[in-house]
Amino acid sequence: MKQLTSRRRSFLDDLSGYAFISPWLLGFIAFSIIPILFSLYYSFTEYDILGDPTFNGLENFRRMLGDELFWQSLKVTFFYAFVSVPLRLLFAFFVAMLFNRGTRAIRMYQAIYYVPSLVGGSIAIAVMWRRLFMADGALNAALAKIGIVTDISWIGNPSTAIWTLILLAAWQFGSSMLIFLAGLRQIPRELYEAASIDGANPFKKFTHITVPQITPVIFFNLVMQLINGFTVFTQAFVVSGGSGDPLNSTLVYALYLYQRAFKYYDMGYGSALAWVLVLIIGIMTGVVFKTSSTWVFYEAKEGK
Amino acid sequence: MKARTVLITILVTLLLLPGVLFAQAATEETDSNTMRLAWWGNPTRDERTYKAVEMFEAKNPGVSIETETTGWSGYWDKMNTQAAAGSLPDLMQHDYAYMLQWVERNQLADLTPYVDKGIIDLSKINDSFLTGGMVDGKLYGISLGTNAVCLTYDLAVLKKAGISEINSATWTWADFERIALQVYRKTGVQTIPFFTTDPKVGFDNMIRQTGASTYGETGIGFTDPAALREFYAIQLRLLDAGALIKPETAFVTVSPEEGAIAKGETWVEFIWSNQFVSTQAAAQRPLEIALLPNIKNAKAKGTFLKPSMFFSIPASAENPELAAKFLNFFVNNIEVNDMLMGERGVPIPDDVRAYMSTKVDPINKQIFDYISLASKNAGPIDAPDPAGSGEFLKMVRDVTQEILMKRVSLDAGVAKIMSRGNDILK
Repeated sequence: MKQLTSRRRSFLDDLSGYAFISPWLLGFIAFSIIPILFSLYYSFTEYDILGDPTFNGLENFRRMLGDELFWQSLKVTFFYAFVSVPLRLLFAFFVAMLFNRGTRAIRMYQAIYYVPSLVGGSIAIAVMWRRLFMADGALNAALAKIGIVTDISWIGNPSTAIWTLILLAAWQFGSSMLIFLAGLRQIPRELYEAASIDGANPFKKFTHITVPQITPVIFFNLVMQLINGFTVFTQAFVVSGGSGDPLNSTLVYALYLYQRAFKYYDMGYGSALAWVLVLIIGIMTGVVFKTSSTWVFYEAKEGK
Repeated sequence: MKARTVLITILVTLLLLPGVLFAQAATEETDSNTMRLAWWGNPTRDERTYKAVEMFEAKNPGVSIETETTGWSGYWDKMNTQAAAGSLPDLMQHDYAYMLQWVERNQLADLTPYVDKGIIDLSKINDSFLTGGMVDGKLYGISLGTNAVCLTYDLAVLKKAGISEINSATWTWADFERIALQVYRKTGVQTIPFFTTDPKVGFDNMIRQTGASTYGETGIGFTDPAALREFYAIQLRLLDAGALIKPETAFVTVSPEEGAIAKGETWVEFIWSNQFVSTQAAAQRPLEIALLPNIKNAKAKGTFLKPSMFFSIPASAENPELAAKFLNFFVNNIEVNDMLMGERGVPIPDDVRAYMSTKVDPINKQIFDYISLASKNAGPIDAPDPAGSGEFLKMVRDVTQEILMKRVSLDAGVAKIMSRGNDILK
């Protein structure tokens, strides 16, 4: 009897909690859950947005196998994710290490280095990126100054264009950096002090204390950035003007999905593409999680 | 305990209240004096359209028009979504490329009843300007202006190369090629690849001259690859001679100010006539307009008058009568067109056009003159673009780059366009 009342009480506690977050819940249901369920339904239909969806079973998924651009966009996305994510993490980690010394102006620097993450998807950056990497852009002008004269249009050449996007991604290291920084601050000072007493040099301290201690943060950042990398859209969209130019060399998966769904009135196929992406990201994340036990260091586990 | 339950109930109710109120507000909003108007545009067009709306509201006290505007690509995302949600505006700017698809899905209203009722006056408009907006004898859109494809060139550069003029009505692609080479040899100024934004517009003109058309009932509308091949062969010959701007540079999407014609890197650019204003503004030096060259043994006219900037009333419009009234004002009123200054293209009613040609600035005068030249050298417009045309255009642009970057041979590229075209448009 007593148990029942306490269960009742906890139910009421839960209810008041839900009441307080209900504005967010409503938004989540209306703008996330419902569209997600609809897109799952659409992925088994032929739907041109203007008309009504008609069920066509697995036809959309079968179509992908023979769709050249589907494979092209997969290739581009995998390349982009596998190059840009490590690059961004390395960069973020490096800058976080620099900031971890705690000089006075550190907060200002943190803010400044976070700016690229905020503006990276803006039209202004797209224009700037074009200006930097055009045939007569800033990069070639700088190269000419040091004696390398070239008129390569980095952004217009199919073999170099994706690198301009990767560079843009590496440049937006702000959020990973802040998380790394928070992680670095968590490492107990005593460990370094003890190591100093034992005569460890800075490199030894880095490889034996910093890196193992920070692995949970690396793990978190890796998973988050992998997801970001596979779903990249805005940067590719603004830099190529939505086309994936040149020659589809910057046609990332999400951009292709968008073209299909909204440019070619092919919402059913677009939804199917979206679900395949969910599957791919799920598998990638799963693989990272599976391997995590071999390289991620958890204090609680070790202490047992 | 009881007090808490009451508190929770009150809280939940309060939180749901705004939603209920919103829903009510949304349903009560429709009355016969308000309407929504949507268009895609640029800052100049937006400003002038707002002014047109103000003029209409001043003439019709109590009427209020809500406006929505975005750039071209965002516009269609927005309208498609609104179409799916059944919340389209009362009057929307429409395009020839999408009209047929919208009509086939019953998204647009037939305007004929409003013409019959006398709300829309078509008495001053020549039928040839209206046929573009008609499907199966029903009128689905009225154009705010006429457009034609053209080529703009820098006469000063030609003169420097020893060429005094272009006879635009009779010149051929052989003339074009000779001029391009001569200009390059004498001045070093190159030629831009043809229609980098949408290469189909370029070869479409040549295919039309053979008497065929790019789109057929199913698949592509031509079987002889000769015209398509020639379109690329000319460019490849210029490329090999060093006279063509490298495709790696030319196909990067840029603003008019960053464009090759504005920077003087090319003597020629291929545009639609209503883009002449912005091209000219970006170039900041006098430019001329000409018809596209003729092919050898042309059987038909390649150029056509394209109704630009249709305005259509969606079938789901809540206040179509008011929309029709505004549309009539927008198209026929001389005062409002005096203010719009042909920004959306050359006006279609005879009296408005006659009035405007006396008023326009020299640059718009060039466009007006070009449209009258084009109307004498134009063939009938092809049927509206079929479903799948968006994908077709993208494929054409990709293969064009592959050909010009020499990733595929000329013949393989042309064959690819034709076979892939048949697959996409089937």
